[in-house]
Amino acid sequence: MTVTSPRMHSHVATSSVSNITVQQPLNAIRGVGLGLKRELIPQIQNAFGQDYIANINFVEIAPENWINAGGKSAKQLDWFAERYPIACHGLCLSLGGIGPLNTDFLKQVKTFLHQYQIPLYTEHLSFSTDAYNGQHGYLYDLLPIPFTEEAVHYVAKRIRQTQDILGQQIAIENTSFYVKAPISTMDEPTFLNAVLTEANCLLHLDVNNIYVNSINFGFDSHAFLRQMPSERIIYSHVAGHHTQSQDLLVDTHGEDVIDPVWALLEDAYGLFGTFPTLLERDNNIPPLPQLMHEVNKIAEMQASYDK
Amino acid sequence: MTSNLLAFQQYQLAFTAYIRDPKKQSRPKNIDPVGIAVYKEIVFTNLFDAVSACFPVAQKVLGKRAWLRLVQSFLRNHSANSPLFRQIPEEFLSFLAQKSCSETQVLPDYLFSLCHYEWVELAVSSSNNTIDLTLVNVELGVLNDEALNRKLVFVPSMQLLSYDYAVQTISPQKKPKHPISTQLLAYRNSADIVKFVELNPVTFRLLSLLSGGEVNEALTINQTLLKIAEELHRPDQSSIISFGLEILEDLRSQEVVLGVYL
Repeated sequence: MTVTSPRMHSHVATSSVSNITVQQPLNAIRGVGLGLKRELIPQIQNAFGQDYIANINFVEIAPENWINAGGKSAKQLDWFAERYPIACHGLCLSLGGIGPLNTDFLKQVKTFLHQYQIPLYTEHLSFSTDAYNGQHGYLYDLLPIPFTEEAVHYVAKRIRQTQDILGQQIAIENTSFYVKAPISTMDEPTFLNAVLTEANCLLHLDVNNIYVNSINFGFDSHAFLRQMPSERIIYSHVAGHHTQSQDLLVDTHGEDVIDPVWALLEDAYGLFGTFPTLLERDNNIPPLPQLMHEVNKIAEMQASYDK
Repeated sequence: MTSNLLAFQQYQLAFTAYIRDPKKQSRPKNIDPVGIAVYKEIVFTNLFDAVSACFPVAQKVLGKRAWLRLVQSFLRNHSANSPLFRQIPEEFLSFLAQKSCSETQVLPDYLFSLCHYEWVELAVSSSNNTIDLTLVNVELGVLNDEALNRKLVFVPSMQLLSYDYAVQTISPQKKPKHPISTQLLAYRNSADIVKFVELNPVTFRLLSLLSGGEVNEALTINQTLLKIAEELHRPDQSSIISFGLEILEDLRSQEVVLGVYL
């Protein structure tokens, strides 16, 4: 089955594996989005309807933070679901992890996506579980999968299983890494492309992660970008990072976006056309008016390439 | 099971073993020590922050160094089952209930109770238990005669708690020297604020009887108060009933009791 450019879809996101459709069209996620952090929730609620936040077109949440939440959190989520399209960006599915995929969790994700009419679910090309002393356990972080042939087949199979359960395509994010697996037999773009093709899934392009990895592993980020499959790009992230040393960047989402990352985003828009882009800010979060400078910058960049 | 693993999985296993227990486990072969050290730090820091946020009193009572060692032991010895971040503190509680948590350090007897009490605040604040309010008469006060033969409805976030220590009074300056049987009630009010109420043993028993089991098995208010009178060997049933009803009406004014079933 061939994949048409998701950006060309005008109707609903249909699954490649079943006839189930999600209730909101995938293109409800468009323009610029902001990660929904607790600190930002009351600020966005207070500023709602004001011109200065008009460029927030959608918000993004991690299902691991919101599934089964009651009380104040549930009311906040209802408030946002009534006013903004929501994208879901998972952290703990552990697509590359040892042990069976957590299908109970995936069923909860499916219910959650339907409940809040969330059209897009993306996950990381990483693992977050292990089998220490023979027991499967969560480590709640994004750990690097070695880039090997076996790993391609293993991860692609689990992505397909995920898509089967959800009844929709998911997008996979290129993840930032801090250490090279000595057993890797291919480079990151080759691995990423092989997984995307074999799993027939979409690409969630994290522009900051390309830059972080280009410094950590000494490659040309713009050349990397040119190896990405345009037709699969559905969504993207930009963020700031922490410079631990000259050749080691850590993806903290705690700083402003730096110029080389802006240049990379602009290069991507030029190469592939624009796609919905989310500003990730998880730590050291400035007040909303200040954060809007970066949201607006993305919107301006998109406008100039959408002409 | 490790013999069935693919080569990249063997590597992953060695990778996470080192992150969990860097003192005992060796680094995977030929790996950059600086790079894997980043993972060692971010995995632990994330877990430490997630756990510590839920247990502010416990960490102060234990002290910085002992708390750090305890969370290190948690990472080393516990395999967490839940992918939900909100449940990390619950995973920590199940670790505290294991023997392995006290293998490397001496922990106070009251620590589990204290941590449980601190966790209840999180559990109640995020509880998604619901009740069908169309089945509830919220107008009829408990003191109304008509209510006596009905079953009581509690706020669905309510938890009845029984501890061996007076957990609600513990602080670094006030560490318990002896066990004290302690009963509490925790719930979330209509403003989504978590409240705790101290209970005496009789009230605890009364509320346990009224809230326990399935609705169709539950006793009516009158049946429950008669049972309490019987358990207390009190012949003056009417004074027990009026005393019990006053307590329930007071809990209704605090939004613990929502009403009676229709």
